Amino acid sequence: MAYGLRDGVLVFTERCTTMRVFILCWEYPPRIIGGLARHVEGLSRGLASLGHEVHVITLDFPGAPYEEHEGSLYVHRVPVSVPAPTFHSWVLLFNHFFEKRVGQLAHEFGTPDVLHIHDWLTVLAGVSAKQLLRSPLVMTFHSTEASRSSNSPSAESAMVQGLEWWGSFEATRVIAVSGWMRTEVVSIFRLPSEKVLEIPNAVDPQRFEGITDIQATRSRWGAKNEDRLITAVGRLTAQKGFDDLIRAYPMIKRSVPDSRLLLVGDGYMRSDLEHLAEQLNVRNSTTFSGFISDGELVAALRSSDVVVVPSRFEPFGIIALEAMAAGAPLVVSRVGGLAEIVEDSVDGIEVEPNDPSAIAAATVRILSDRELRVRLAANGGEKAKTYSWEHVAKRTVEVYQDAVKGTKYE
Amino acid sequence: MSEGPRLLLSTLMVLGAQSPEKALPVDELAVKLGMGVPELLSELDRLTKAGYAVTAKKEGRVRVYLTGTGVITASSAYS
Repeated sequence: MAYGLRDGVLVFTERCTTMRVFILCWEYPPRIIGGLARHVEGLSRGLASLGHEVHVITLDFPGAPYEEHEGSLYVHRVPVSVPAPTFHSWVLLFNHFFEKRVGQLAHEFGTPDVLHIHDWLTVLAGVSAKQLLRSPLVMTFHSTEASRSSNSPSAESAMVQGLEWWGSFEATRVIAVSGWMRTEVVSIFRLPSEKVLEIPNAVDPQRFEGITDIQATRSRWGAKNEDRLITAVGRLTAQKGFDDLIRAYPMIKRSVPDSRLLLVGDGYMRSDLEHLAEQLNVRNSTTFSGFISDGELVAALRSSDVVVVPSRFEPFGIIALEAMAAGAPLVVSRVGGLAEIVEDSVDGIEVEPNDPSAIAAATVRILSDRELRVRLAANGGEKAKTYSWEHVAKRTVEVYQDAVKGTKYE
Repeated sequence: MSEGPRLLLSTLMVLGAQSPEKALPVDELAVKLGMGVPELLSELDRLTKAGYAVTAKKEGRVRVYLTGTGVITASSAYS
């Protein structure tokens, strides 16, 4: 792909200082399902700030505009106009509508220098666009079906894994969001290791600037002044291990009676978790906030005495970085990307997954030791500064440039 | 959340019921799901109380659509 059309003119794309990039993803703020939306937002803004023309093609969302434009960043939200019988057939359908939008945008703005897809959900549209537009394809893995489903033998899981392989095969370059994810992707899909690069997530420090009314925030979530506030954030799904944290909470309360548990987020396990908290007699001291605004999330993190990330599986764990940036001490499971972000007893405490007793012990240790809390938070704040979206964008541009040159992997 | 409400949320999402204009009649939805209307209304009552869905009567029929929170919750099972 040495040559390409830009605004109707044939250009030697290897020498273009700026690129036109089409990013295909199923979630983009305000549609935030997981870390993927945060990653694409940070990457897109970072690329645009470097002068690249970025088009994000994503799904529509109640209340969000179909089209947004800020500088050289364009967001195109695509409605799915045909109903589907199941989730997996719906994914196939929305990929068709993505393909159509990509074609329209290529006609309107010019052929993209690079197509970038995120996870299996946009593989079909990405591969079609690659073949039709002759643009190189880059794929980022935020997770894999094998880990997410614990190697489920279901037909749906087989289809998802097939699409993951197909995307990784068609992509000129593959990006993984952590070293752990990179190893997994190389192993599962038998990719040449040099084809897969690790580019981690990041955090925007500006989100954590400004003043938080800590007393008001704690009060809002039911914590009295003397209460220790224990916070966990994420989708309320089995992967996130919030049931282990709830099981740990009665043990924590025995040592730290004046405490409050705040679970931020929503998901299909919410009623099960509420029921579990009732069974363990901690429902009255547990708050389920549901989804909250970004400003409220930042305030909650800054007002917390400890943030716990009890995941059973976590390819990256962007909430750990956010907690560090907010100055909150961390307890995390020693899994996946989390174990790479956190240095045990330096900027957080690691515990084995699926172990409520270990979660309780680490949380009590932090809550009972002010000096430890201050040290972990200070070190975490410094660590968070090393993960910037500007750095992610620059590294990703290098991958794009490499992909544009074309390689033997196509 | 048990399989019933989870399936209901997912079904509303893949059928495109994400706005008042695209709200689905509850009686039609009951047929698609193989449920009785009273049973479905009971499930929908739980979803609306949780902020996941909105029901409204239009042209003599009760219709339902997902809120943004409902869309995210439905999607969370697959991410």
